[in-house]
This record gives sequence, structure tokens and C-alpha cells, in this order.
Amino acid sequence: MKFRMKRKFSIKKKFLVWLLFLGFFFLLFFTQSQFGQEAKPAEQSKALKPEKTPEKIIPSPSNIKEATGIYVFLAWMWLSIIVLIYFLRLKIKEVDRLHRMGYFSEKKK
Amino acid sequence: MRMGIQSWFDERFGISAIMEFLRKKTVPQHKHTIWYYTGSSILFFFVVQVITGFMLAFYYKPTLEEANKSVARIMTEVPLGWIIRSVHFWSASFMIALVFIHLIGIWLVKSYRKPRELTWMSGVFLLIVTLLFGFTGYLLPWDDLSLSATKVGTDIPRSIPVIGAWVTQFLRGGEDVTGDTLSRFFSFHICILPIFVLLIIAIHIYLIQKQGMSLPLAAEIKEEKVREIPFWPNFVYREMIVWLILGGVLFSLAVFFPPSLDKQADLMAPAPQGIKPEWYFLFLFQTLKIFPAKILFVSGVSVAALLIALAGILFFFLPFIDNRPSGKKGKILTLFAYTLIAYAVAMTAWSLWR
Amino acid sequence: MKLKHSLFTRRQFLNGLFGGWIGALLASFLYPIIRFVFPPTREPDQVVLPFLDFKDMAPNSVKNFSWGSKPGILKKNDDGTYTAFVAVCSHLDCNVTYLPDKKKFFCACHEGWYDEQGRNIAGPPPRPLRRLVLAVEGENLIISREGFEGAPKK
Repeated sequence: MKFRMKRKFSIKKKFLVWLLFLGFFFLLFFTQSQFGQEAKPAEQSKALKPEKTPEKIIPSPSNIKEATGIYVFLAWMWLSIIVLIYFLRLKIKEVDRLHRMGYFSEKKK
Repeated sequence: MRMGIQSWFDERFGISAIMEFLRKKTVPQHKHTIWYYTGSSILFFFVVQVITGFMLAFYYKPTLEEANKSVARIMTEVPLGWIIRSVHFWSASFMIALVFIHLIGIWLVKSYRKPRELTWMSGVFLLIVTLLFGFTGYLLPWDDLSLSATKVGTDIPRSIPVIGAWVTQFLRGGEDVTGDTLSRFFSFHICILPIFVLLIIAIHIYLIQKQGMSLPLAAEIKEEKVREIPFWPNFVYREMIVWLILGGVLFSLAVFFPPSLDKQADLMAPAPQGIKPEWYFLFLFQTLKIFPAKILFVSGVSVAALLIALAGILFFFLPFIDNRPSGKKGKILTLFAYTLIAYAVAMTAWSLWR
Repeated sequence: MKLKHSLFTRRQFLNGLFGGWIGALLASFLYPIIRFVFPPTREPDQVVLPFLDFKDMAPNSVKNFSWGSKPGILKKNDDGTYTAFVAVCSHLDCNVTYLPDKKKFFCACHEGWYDEQGRNIAGPPPRPLRRLVLAVEGENLIISREGFEGAPKK
């Protein structure tokens, strides 16, 4: 019996999608490595400066690299959330449909 | 191979029995279903608090001299410390807000009626413990604002007759707020309260599983057949969506609106301008403020504290007071719930306005 | 190359994608947590001390100083020169001490011995004591780690 995989998308499109994927992951790890930058500037200035207690410490990313890293991370996070919610909605639709047709009731594998 | 590992553990733990139960457990679907999501959302934020709390405790030093400095160090030197602290701060507010929302939901659909009285009462304990978490955690940075807030907060129980002075001394570790108070509060925050909260959560969740999800009063009266979906995986998938959104909002807020740190508290300095407790205590704070200094021959604070304590006790025993929720009594109590909500919101708004 | 049968079902593919993406999201949260839990080492590049404190040391004697959070030993040798070591045993990190009568460094934890130059001569220590670079600039004694570019020449 001949079985032909029905392709919804062409090979080219699939390849592009996987490339995008990999690109995102690389971007992610690249920006994550920027996170560590803030430790070094803080250290060197610590050497000979006298200890003065500031009135109020307002936190913020210490350099542009860290700030960019954080913003890219937030973008990745929201993108992931959107994608995961999309998948979850698909799963919910399916599992609801199965429940309604009684797939889970007596038939147990 | 995955199935092999799963069945290996299942032979020993018997987890499949739990999974079977979760598959059989159903969640009713009706117009009040949205309230069902509040419980697990609270758990989500609690887990976030535990994880970020573990991390903060790695660097925090709970002594009078070092507390503020260690928090400053977390915010400036430790890599991304300010984000972790910010997440902890925001997640606390989210969790407390959700606890209030959860409470209101339960009250409005009257889920506390028989046989769920104990669930309600354990829930009230959880509310108190959660508020105590917030109260004890607020002192830990040991800056001017938190010191003053703690001084006021621990002074209020003093006006309860008979036991008041002891309660204040217990909370403060003495007559005044000192380094001992800080140690005590730290111990409460990371050790005593977590153990209690885990125990009570276990009781609360066990009761819910044993008794099943409650139906809103209206549905029960009409005895209509409500559509139900299985808890696992249908409802859990829906809960995951809620968690994802809440987590995303939490993290975004934490990054863009991190809390600041004031300078170290001075025990001898006068109270700074504009001290106020965290938002979840504002309505109580305002209630205390509107009482006059003296009523007859008792101090205003005493009367206020007593009234609030009385309200708390009635609140705790609500399932027994509202033993006929479908009757007129029940309707009055529903109205009362709305009044309380309006009161709390109005008081909070008023105290923010000043 | 065209496959006769697909490698996995659509369900498996989607489930894998879903699980994998959740894993990636959680892993990306793991990174800041790890950075937080493993802070960078706080060893200084250089320590500046007033030379007056060490000028009048007797030969074959030592004085302690702080090398960040580790102890440092400054030794005045018999010929008048100075040597600086990080006084941490190369075996299991105990603090070492100098015994002037034996002219050796001794680690009490597992009886490790180092000679005057810091070379490990007896006991479990696998490596010599770490040396630091010394220089005097005006009133200051500057102790730097080896390989630090900003170290002045003495």
C-alpha cells in the first residue's frame, strides 16, 4: 500500500520555519550572555571608593547590553507565551471534543 | 523507555492512582466558572515566592547592621538581583490580591455552605498567614518606611484588652522594635509561616478534592444538570493559559517597575513623612484613623481594634452564621459582602488620596 | 529523499513542539537564576597598602594582609626582599601559617609543608602557594595578582 505524506507546507517553508526557530534560540543565548556584564563595572569601581550610603537606590539595568538583553528576553517570553497559548487552545479543543464524544468514558487502553 | 521509567515509579509510588482521580474529577462549567481559576493562580504565585525567596535568602543578612546593606548589595552587585527582588515584591502583591478575589468569589457563590465549612475556615487561616507573610516581609529591608510601618503595625494589638501587651511583646521581641524584632520577623517569614502555610494548604486542598468542586447556589437550587469537564487534562490546560498570562504580566511589571530601597532605618529618628502600610492594609489603617482619639473612657484605637477583631471572628464563623444561604439571611449576607467590598475599596482610595 | 512513512505523527510533532517550547521557556528562566546563584568571584586585581606598616619588619618574619576575602602573607626574606603569597593551602583551602624557626609554611589541616619560596615539599598539597606580584610606589606597597596589566614594575 502506498502511503504518501500529505504535505501542507512545502519543504522550503518548513526549512525556513526551522531556521527561524534556531535563530531564536541562538539569539536567546546570545542575549543571555549579556546579562553577566553588570558585575564587572561594579567591581572595578569598588576598589578605592569610600563607602557612602546613598539616600535611595533605584534599581535599573547597569549597562546598555544588560538592558537590551532584558528587553529581548521579554520579547522572547511574550512570544513564547503567545505560541504556548495557541498550542494550549488547540489541545483544549481536541480534548474537549474527545470528552464530548465519550472517548474517555469506558474505553480504557 | 519513558513508559518504562513511569511504570517503575508507579509501581512504587502509585502515582497512577492520583492521576486516575484527577481524570475522574470534574469541574462544572457555568457562568461563575471563572472563580475556579483563582485558587491555582494563588498557588502559582506562591511557588514564585518560594523560589525567589530562596534566592534572596542566599544573600540577605537578617541583622540590624547588615539588613539594609545586604538588600542594597542584592540590588546593585548581585547579577540581576534587582529583578529577583522585584519579582518577589510584585508576586507578593499579586498573591494577596488574588487571595482577596478568591475570598470574594467564594463568598458570593456561597461555597462555604455545608459540607465546606472547614474549607472556608482553613481558607481564613490562609488569608491571615498570607497577610502575615506580607507584614513580616515588609520589615526585612529595614529602611525608614518599613520600620515605621512595623512600629505602627505591632503597636495596634496593644490596645486589645487583657492580652494586647503580650501580643505586641511577642511580635516585637520586647517592648520596642529592635534588631530582635528583625530576627523574629525573619524567622517567621522564612521558617514558621512557611511550615504553617504548607500544612494549611494541604488541608485546604485535601478538603477540596474530597468534597469535589462546589456549585453556585443558584445551580444547586434549580438542580439543573450542569455541564462538567474533567479536571485533567481539560481544566488544567485552561489553568495553564491563566498561569502563562499571569507570569508574563508579573515578569514584565517586575522589570519595568522595580521597587526602590530607602536608606537604612534609624531607630532614633522621627517617623518619615507619608508613612503608610502596604496597599492591602490600607483599608484597616484608614479605619483606625477615622476613630476619634477617645470614645467615652476608652481609646479610639482600642475600640477600632476590638471591632475589627470581632468582625474577624464573625468572618471566620461565616458558614455557621449563614446556615440558610438560600433564604433571606443569605441574601442579606450577600448584600453585606458587597458593602464590605465597597467599604474596603473606599477606605483604600481615601487613604491613597491623602 | 522522500520517506515512505512519516517519522512521527502530527500529534507527536505538536506535542513535542509544545513540550520543547515550554522547556525552552523554563530553561531561559533558568539562566538568570544561575547567574544570580553563582555570583562572579570577588578577588581583587590589586591591593594597595601603606608601606610604612611593612618597612620595619624583621628578616624571616611575616605579616598578614587581606587579599579580598582570602588571607595574604607578606614575608620579609633573609636578604631583605619581600615576597607575597595567598595564604591558602593548595590542598583543601585551609589557611597556612609560617613557622620562622623551621623556615617553612605549614598547613595544620592535613600537615602540609611548603618551603620559604612557597613550594610544596611534604604532605598532601599538590601545588605551591600562589604568589603575588609586589611593587613599591612612593608611600604605597602595591600587591597585584600575577598577570594583571596594571601592576607597576619594581
